[in-house]
Amino acid sequence: MSESNKKISLISSEGEAFEVSEAVAREFEIVAHMLEDGCSGSSIPITTVDSNILGKVIEYCTKHVEVGNVEGNSEKAEKDLEEFDKRFIAVEMNTLFSLILAANYLNVKGLLNIGCQKVADTIKDMKPEEVRSIFNIENDYTPAEEEVVRKENEWAFQP
Amino acid sequence: MSSPEEKKKRKRMSTTKKKKLLQSLVLPPTPQSTPNPSLPDDLLLSCFSRLSRLYYPTLSLVSKTFQSLLASPELYKTRSSLGRTESCLYVCLKSHPDPIPRWYTLCRKPDKTLTTNEDTMKLKKKSSGYVLAKIPTSHSGPVHWSGLATVGSDIYNIGGPINDDKDPSSRVLIMDSRSNRWREGPSMLVKRRYPVTSVLDGKIYVAGGCKDCSSSSDKSAGFDGKVYIFGGGNGLAYKPREGRWERVGWEMDTSWPWYSYAVIDNVLYQYNGGFKWYDTKVGLWRGLKGVKGLPKFPRYIARLADYGGKMAVFWERVLASTGFKDKMILCAVIALERRNSEEIWGKVEWHDTLLTVSKSCRVDYALATTV
Repeated sequence: MSESNKKISLISSEGEAFEVSEAVAREFEIVAHMLEDGCSGSSIPITTVDSNILGKVIEYCTKHVEVGNVEGNSEKAEKDLEEFDKRFIAVEMNTLFSLILAANYLNVKGLLNIGCQKVADTIKDMKPEEVRSIFNIENDYTPAEEEVVRKENEWAFQP
Repeated sequence: MSSPEEKKKRKRMSTTKKKKLLQSLVLPPTPQSTPNPSLPDDLLLSCFSRLSRLYYPTLSLVSKTFQSLLASPELYKTRSSLGRTESCLYVCLKSHPDPIPRWYTLCRKPDKTLTTNEDTMKLKKKSSGYVLAKIPTSHSGPVHWSGLATVGSDIYNIGGPINDDKDPSSRVLIMDSRSNRWREGPSMLVKRRYPVTSVLDGKIYVAGGCKDCSSSSDKSAGFDGKVYIFGGGNGLAYKPREGRWERVGWEMDTSWPWYSYAVIDNVLYQYNGGFKWYDTKVGLWRGLKGVKGLPKFPRYIARLADYGGKMAVFWERVLASTGFKDKMILCAVIALERRNSEEIWGKVEWHDTLLTVSKSCRVDYALATTV
């Protein structure tokens, strides 16, 4: 029993400590591997993730660990979790990108999945210009190429 | 720990970022400028892989980097690991007298107001949100509709004619619909002109069109364990599993137009002013029931395709508003349901105008790949 009560501190890039149960910390696969490799320290620095995002990732993992521990009534629990995920991922684009980057780095598969799906759902009905602006992408078509592209695909650029 | 190399890279990136900001005030973007995405390529791929291919043509217009990511083998690896395979509709358009066809694919127009919700689709009857996007591809060489076939993600263009003299050819060209690129395939043993092709159990059967062929072949279809070939009033069926040929009666041949038919879920369908399917058990053509809401169109311009178990139908209509100089390419997708051994019902999911082209243009062939 003492295992599951063990607390671990996750340290954000700003040096802020987040104390979580080991079960939650293990949701970060990167942390789980460190623990399995015999890393016994009780505080783990997560230097590439800031406090705001780390807090959110912990919130996500905590909820998923909680629901995973409840036995019976699984259908309702699953629905609740779906609702939670939906609300959780409804954030503005920059936060969403940061969450995806963090989930990728920390290897939190569930969060990575819903994050990428959210990006996909957001961009699918956008015009090319809109996609460029949310991804902060420079149009690397030359003016001549762009003209050809636009001419051949007028439907995509129409107002 | 990050290596000194990585640190250098990061530093370089941040300085180029600043430089780029300064540059953009005075200079238009140069072709060399690298994009500065908010997500690295592997994560972009992960996002793209969760989208239907219908959205890829628009996303390809965002940047060259997007375009190459969307045609990359990695993307399709991710898609298949996520179990995201789907059917992809292609149309081959020919404009007289140009022998080189243009290839288009079905895609969604960017429109935030569109949803897949059926009620809103009904309200917005004017636009289904679908269009045909021209695919930027190396050219396929001349194409004759009867020499085209698809297996998996590949489109095959088989045999001749290859030039104005209508010479036969043994050439086989293959387009991988993931990258939309044509490549040379293994040649056939004999040269053929206007061969007919059909697919059965993942294999392509090519018939007719060679020098020693006694009569021309008009049409061919593979279903029910047999490859049916018709030409010059004669019908034959080949059973590959037994390696045997048999004669087929005239009742299948009559009323089967040689241009507009498709095999969908092991059933042969055709359009002959109305949709019909061939009941092999009793050897007769039966009407497809329940198809409502489609305008009448001449049978000779209808092109049918197996769109992942649904039927896609393309046809065209000349536009009076442009003085009959242009024509519209229209499409309908019909869901099929077999209710019993004698009845198949069709439900029109949507139909719409997808493209306006010059009058000399026509839909030569429609087909779908699985990617």
